[in-house]
Amino acid sequence: MTTLLHVDNLSTHLQSAGKTVKAVDGVSFEINKGETFCLVGESGSGKSVTALSVIQLLPQDISSHPNGIIHFDYRHDSGEIEKVNMLDLADHRKRGIRGSRIAMIFQEPMTSLNPVFTIGDQIIEALQLHNPSLSYAAAKQKAIDALNQVQIPKAEERIDEFPHRLSGGQRQRVMIAMAMACEPDLLIADEPTTALDVTVQAEILRLMKELQARKGTSILFITHDFGVVSQMGHRLAVMKLGKIVESGDVKRVMNNPQHDYTKQLLAALPENLSRTRPKQKIDIDENTKPLVDLKGLEVYFPIKKGIFRHTVDHVRAVDGIDLKIPKGQILALVGESGCGKSTLGRAILRLIEPTAGSVSFDGRDITGLSRHDLRPLRSQMQIVFQDPMSSLNPRLTIADTLTEPMKVHGIGESKEHRLELARGVMERVQLDPDYVWRYPHEFSGGQRQRIGIARSLALKPSFIVCDEVTSALDVSVQAEILQILLELRAEHDLTLLFITHNIGVVEYIADEMAVMYNGKIVERGLTDQVCNKPQNEYTQKLLAAVPRVQFE
Amino acid sequence: MSGNIKQPKQRSYSAQIFSEVGRQWTARFGFSWIAIIATIAVFAPFLANSHPLLLSEQGLLDSPALRHMSAGDFILLLIYFAVVVLFFVPIPFAKKIWTLLAVSVLGSFISNAIIEPPKVVIYEQYRESAERYDWTLMAPIPYSPKDYLRDYGDTGLESPLSDQERTHLFGTDENGADVLSRMVYASRVALGIGLVATGIALIIGVVIGGLMGYFSGIADIIGMRLVEVFEAIPVIFLLLTFVAFFGRDLYVMMVIIGLTGWTGYARFVRAEFLRLRQQEFVQSAIACGLPLRSVLFRHMLPNGMAPVLVTVSFSVASAILAEATLSFLGLGPVDEPSWGQMLNQAVQAATFNWWMAIFPGGAIFLTMFTYMLIGEAMRDAFDPYLKKGAN
Repeated sequence: MTTLLHVDNLSTHLQSAGKTVKAVDGVSFEINKGETFCLVGESGSGKSVTALSVIQLLPQDISSHPNGIIHFDYRHDSGEIEKVNMLDLADHRKRGIRGSRIAMIFQEPMTSLNPVFTIGDQIIEALQLHNPSLSYAAAKQKAIDALNQVQIPKAEERIDEFPHRLSGGQRQRVMIAMAMACEPDLLIADEPTTALDVTVQAEILRLMKELQARKGTSILFITHDFGVVSQMGHRLAVMKLGKIVESGDVKRVMNNPQHDYTKQLLAALPENLSRTRPKQKIDIDENTKPLVDLKGLEVYFPIKKGIFRHTVDHVRAVDGIDLKIPKGQILALVGESGCGKSTLGRAILRLIEPTAGSVSFDGRDITGLSRHDLRPLRSQMQIVFQDPMSSLNPRLTIADTLTEPMKVHGIGESKEHRLELARGVMERVQLDPDYVWRYPHEFSGGQRQRIGIARSLALKPSFIVCDEVTSALDVSVQAEILQILLELRAEHDLTLLFITHNIGVVEYIADEMAVMYNGKIVERGLTDQVCNKPQNEYTQKLLAAVPRVQFE
Repeated sequence: MSGNIKQPKQRSYSAQIFSEVGRQWTARFGFSWIAIIATIAVFAPFLANSHPLLLSEQGLLDSPALRHMSAGDFILLLIYFAVVVLFFVPIPFAKKIWTLLAVSVLGSFISNAIIEPPKVVIYEQYRESAERYDWTLMAPIPYSPKDYLRDYGDTGLESPLSDQERTHLFGTDENGADVLSRMVYASRVALGIGLVATGIALIIGVVIGGLMGYFSGIADIIGMRLVEVFEAIPVIFLLLTFVAFFGRDLYVMMVIIGLTGWTGYARFVRAEFLRLRQQEFVQSAIACGLPLRSVLFRHMLPNGMAPVLVTVSFSVASAILAEATLSFLGLGPVDEPSWGQMLNQAVQAATFNWWMAIFPGGAIFLTMFTYMLIGEAMRDAFDPYLKKGAN
């Protein structure tokens, strides 16, 4: 097998605010022709910077390569192969390689296409740039072929669409079509499916595999998801703090990791977490009073049109949901983006007003309560949000964030007492109590998420909605957060509505799960039952799409 | 048990912004110029006054300057010292603001009740009967702004230092009053109109914009129509009309500039609130059952003030310019000194009186320029993209 890319002892330093960050620190790896090489690591490990160094896309004024070689087999149009060092190449030659021989797909499909050009224009421009002799008609035909290859339906018509008319998955396909149109030898995919739903992700991964098999393209695949790695990769390298700590055959590394860090990462996967608690059996018969009881809950968003803004139709985000959550249970609400699961979570807390139906909390109907009457109940039901960056007020210290709600609800006798309570909650989520004096920007994502949990705990609630609490976090941090939640549930007899799209997390944490699709709950049952024997067609499709880590 | 509670040593977001602004030399220059102008404005009675600061008449000490100070002069001094003291007192920023407001309101009631300057002001008495006093201590500029030097008889437009007997560093105006002295007093008008008009606009704009953004729906629709109505009002024309009907009152001008200038703030605050309302920290503030007041003013407003603050400094500059324009057109306050009105005199006579153009014009230019510099510096500090580019 011939080597296509050979990276030897590569270092990339980034300058920011007078400081030099060693983003990549002596990394060596090789990619053979036609293989998929996965670069795995947690956020900040330098995997994206490595990829950007290979394709030489880092801004030159803030980045430097003190040492290293990136040997790439540059295939000239004549077919002649020249070994070039990407670091020494002149700018115009780098441009020639970029796009035509090394192409890149980015993570965020929503922003990686130019919104003011049609998708056809964007693919044709790339084609003609690298093949000046290509006529417009020929380029257009090639573009249509490329779109057909990525299975965009009716490619001839859709080639003139603007990016905003395509869904996230379709845009990512267009990105792949654009990257593959010039038939590159190396495709760099930087978390190409992280922003997509699992069913879409499954299709994109299948597509990439197909294209690779047909064209013999090598892929440098960057991801943090071991499930994707075990589906896609031939070989894999694990990065930590700018260094590759372990690399080798995917199967070998996954089943027999040598380095401690790799072991830690694999152990932190929800699939591998040990469930220490005995599985609680909670009988749901008609007699036990549920803590939260939804009856025919609907949340419609009106679609308004015309000068008079009359309502022409509704988006049925939550469409008639009946759901009982017994006390002390962890119910996972699973579904893909846009299915209305977050809206449902917020509607239960009346952060969004339900259009119809009722929400009963502890036997009391809260749908009709006024803002004022609802306020005392607010301490009973809390929410933890997905995005740790925006869930804390940047202008308030953690002490203020934690103590203000306590004061409103009359918890704690004095300011000092409340502060002491706040320090207690911080300790409970395994943070240094002295951190209460800090501002949110001084914390990492995982720490902020813990503070988010601490804030909801501060009011001693009996019910917490966890809205994708671990989606933005690395696996090791995710494992810690999940463990904290389980401990808290046992300590305080909490009831959790755990909204997520990650089936692995559901299997680990939830007693029961409910699958939501298009505003409706299509299936509900004990987690093991639903995961192993899904009854509903959609549930089956969803579960089949989940990339599983294949251990032997 | 709570003995190890440390005092906060981490810097808040606003503290970071302030130090970021302070690091830029343009902003430092801007702030120092405004501090100088403010100091001059507050201490004007001690800088330019026809009345001696201190005199001794047959062994008895007297301060005519102090006796002739108006209630307004005292209030300004009081506020100035309150600001300086509060700057060094380590209490929360909000408390400082409230203390300052309390001091100003109390101070103005007390000064208005107690202080009664003589109704008839005779500027020339100390010059004419100079031999009666043992000694007199005059202000650095020994002329009041409205002292037209009637005792001399030969007064009129005179270029700087052209007079042999008297020293007029910046010359005299058409009535014979000292230009430098008038400029010192005019700085009060310039700063006052900028701050008061912008303050009025800011309060109205933030309240209306905040309500529009938070409640959206029908409140938003009504609010936006109101904004459009106010944006359609031609400000200078309205000012001219008011001056024609109700006379030349500086306070009326401030209020009108303020009442018509809030639309920009309302738009900014509305947009920010629409964005912030969906932010998760606001949602969780609501989920925690915090009262509306706290959600609006503690969690949303401080996070949405960035674009507003930048606009503030630009619109202070434009308020100053509006007043200068009116005064230049001869529609400003009648007898009160104002930079724009002095500029007007530069072209009134047959000759071009350069000193009437350069000094007041320069003052207007510098003051507006510095406000612009501060605005630019703040925008840079708030804008992370520009910050990255600077590195």
